[in-house]
Amino acid sequence: MASIVVRELTKRYGKLTAVNQISLEVEDGEIFGMLGPNGAGKTTTVEVLVGLRDADAGEVRVLGFDPTTESVQLKRSIGVQLQMPTLFPRLTVEESLRLNASFFPDPFPAEQVLEWVGLKEQRKVYTYKLSGGQLQRLVVGMAIISNGRILFLDEPTTGLDPQARRNLWDVFHMLQKMGKTIFLTTHYMEEAQYLCDRVAIIDHGSIIALGTPNQLICDHFEEKAVELSAMDGCDEAILEKLPGVTKVQAAHNQITLYSTNVEATIRELMQLEAENRLAVNDLAIRKASLEDVFLKLTGRSIRQ
Amino acid sequence: MKSFLNLVVATLKDMVRDKMTIFWFILFPVLFMFLFGMIFSGGSGNVNFDLGVVVEQPDFFSQAFLANLGQVEMLTVHHGTLEGELEALGQQKRNAVLVLPQVQFGSDEEIAVPVYYDASNQANKVLIFMLSEIFNHVERGMQNRARIFTVDAKPVQAESLRDVDYLLPGILSMALMQLGLFGSVRLVYLRQKRILKSLGATPLPRTHIVFSEIVIRLLMAAVQTTLIILIGHFVFDVKIVGSWWQVLGAVFFGAAVFVSIGYMLVTFAKTEESGHGIIQVVQFPMMFLSGIFFPLEFLPAFLKPVVRAIPLTYLGDILRSVLIGTPYAFGLTTDLLILGGWLTVSLILAIRFWRWE
Repeated sequence: MASIVVRELTKRYGKLTAVNQISLEVEDGEIFGMLGPNGAGKTTTVEVLVGLRDADAGEVRVLGFDPTTESVQLKRSIGVQLQMPTLFPRLTVEESLRLNASFFPDPFPAEQVLEWVGLKEQRKVYTYKLSGGQLQRLVVGMAIISNGRILFLDEPTTGLDPQARRNLWDVFHMLQKMGKTIFLTTHYMEEAQYLCDRVAIIDHGSIIALGTPNQLICDHFEEKAVELSAMDGCDEAILEKLPGVTKVQAAHNQITLYSTNVEATIRELMQLEAENRLAVNDLAIRKASLEDVFLKLTGRSIRQ
Repeated sequence: MKSFLNLVVATLKDMVRDKMTIFWFILFPVLFMFLFGMIFSGGSGNVNFDLGVVVEQPDFFSQAFLANLGQVEMLTVHHGTLEGELEALGQQKRNAVLVLPQVQFGSDEEIAVPVYYDASNQANKVLIFMLSEIFNHVERGMQNRARIFTVDAKPVQAESLRDVDYLLPGILSMALMQLGLFGSVRLVYLRQKRILKSLGATPLPRTHIVFSEIVIRLLMAAVQTTLIILIGHFVFDVKIVGSWWQVLGAVFFGAAVFVSIGYMLVTFAKTEESGHGIIQVVQFPMMFLSGIFFPLEFLPAFLKPVVRAIPLTYLGDILRSVLIGTPYAFGLTTDLLILGGWLTVSLILAIRFWRWE
C-alpha cells in the first residue's frame, strides 16, 4: 500500500516555480530519498506533504489524509524534522524531547530516543549550548519520538560527522524494521545510495529520475568507472580511443574513464604505461554511482 | 490539555532561565519601587496628631473637656467650624475632627460624639482609641452617670495622599503595561527563530502557543503585583484598601488589555528588534501622559485629549482606586468600557493582521 501519493504537485512562490508537477508514490515501510542540490525543491515538497504549505496544483495524500484540509489528523501520525534546527533555547535536551513527545498520542520513551541519537550525556544541557551536530541529532530525535507512522526528515544528517551519520543510518534502518516509512531529503549521494530503497533525483523543481539506486545506475550506465591519476598529464584523445571507453572525464590529473569493457581498457592502459606514454597512479575500478548519474543527467556535480 | 500545560511549563522554564526576563519583568519594577519609594516616602512617621475640635455650644462641659485635651502631649488642638475643619481634614492638615455636641444634663440618653478621621492613615485608629479613653476619663469624674458618651468614628478618605501611596499603583500600572507590550515581542521572536514553524509541524494547535504565552503573562503579572504590593506595604507603609480579589481582577484585566495591544502592535514588526522599537515608541510617551506617576492636573490642557485616549490612564485610575482608595477620576464603568474597547479592537486587529510566517 502507498503511504504517500503525490500527483502533479506544483508549488509556486510568486514567479518562481519551486516544485513543478512532480508525481511519486512511497510504499509502506519504504525509505524514500529525495536527492538534489540546494534550491531544487526538496524542502518545499516536504513542507507541502506535512501540511505546512498548501499546494498550488496537484493532489497529495499522506496516509490517506489530505494535508491541506486534514492536517491535524495527519500531524498526529507523522514525525517531522525541518531544516535548520529551531528550539526553545533554554530547555534542556531531555525537556525538548519530552515536550515534543507530549504532543503525540503514543510517543517513544525519551530515554530510548536519547540512546538512539546518542545524546544521553547531553540530556541536561540547554539546547543553545549544543554543538551544530548535537543540535541536528536532537531535532532528528524530536521527529523520531513522535512514533509516527511516517518520518519526514529534511536533510537529517547535514552537519554531522561521518561516524554520527552512520549511527543515524543504523537508527533509520532499525525504525524501518519496526515498520516505519521514512521520507527524507539529502544532497549526500552516498547517503541516498546506502540508505534509501528508492530515490527521486530532483533538479529545478522537477523529478529527473526515480528508482532504486542500483536501477538508476544501471539505467544510465552500462559502464563501470575506472579512476586513475596521470602523473604528467596525458592526451585525452588517446584515452577515448581505448577499447570499451565511452566517456572520459578529466579534472587536472584525476581522470575517470567510463568503460563497458573494463578488462580490455585496463589491458591497454598497462600497455600505454609500458610504452612510457602514460604514468598511471592509483588505479581504481568502481561501479558507477548516483553521483555519476547526477553528473550525467544535469551536467554538473551536486555540490556545485 | 496535557500538551497545552506541557507547553506552558516549557515556555515558562525557557523564559525564567533567561536572566534578562527576570530582570525586566521582576527586578526592574521592584528596584523602581524601592528607588522612588525611598525618594518619595520622606516625612512620614510623626507621632503628633492634629485634632480639629468643633464646639457646637460652648459651655462648662466643653471647657472642661478642652482643658483635658490640652494635657495630652501628642495632640495639637485646632478650633474651627465643621466645614472648615473637614476641609482641613481633606487636605490632611488634620488627623481627625471631633464634634462636641451640646450636652443635656439630666437626660439618660447616650450622647454620640462624631469623630471624622482620615482612614488612609492607620495611625489615626490609635487617635480614636485615645479620644475614647479621654471621654472615659471625663465620665469617671462625673460619677452620677455610668455611660454618657460614645465615640462615633466616621472614616473619611483624604483627597491627597502621600507621594509614595500614589507611586505604588503607578508602578504597578507601568509594570503591567510593559509586561503586556514587551512580552508580546516574544511571539515575533518565536516566528523569527522558526520555533513557531517547528511547533506548527507537530499536532499542537497554533492557538495553544498564543494562549500559553498569555497564561504566562498573567502568571507573571500576578507575581509582579504581589512583589510590588508587598514591598509597598511592608517597606513604605502604603495602605491597601481593596480586597485581594479586586486587586487581582484589576491586575489580570489590565494585563489582558496590554497583552492584546502588544500583539496588535507587533503585527507590524518583522523582526524582534523592530518589535521592540515599535513598543518602545508607544510605551514611553504613554507612561508620562497617562498620569500614573503624577496627577493629571499637572499636564497642559492641550494634552488632555491624548491623555483621555490612552488606555494606561484608565488602568491607572482603576488601580489607584482599588489599591489606595482614591475616588475614580472617570468612574469605574467608563474605565472598564474604554479598556474593554481597547482590548476588543486590539484583539480583532491582531488576529486579522498577524502572519504566522
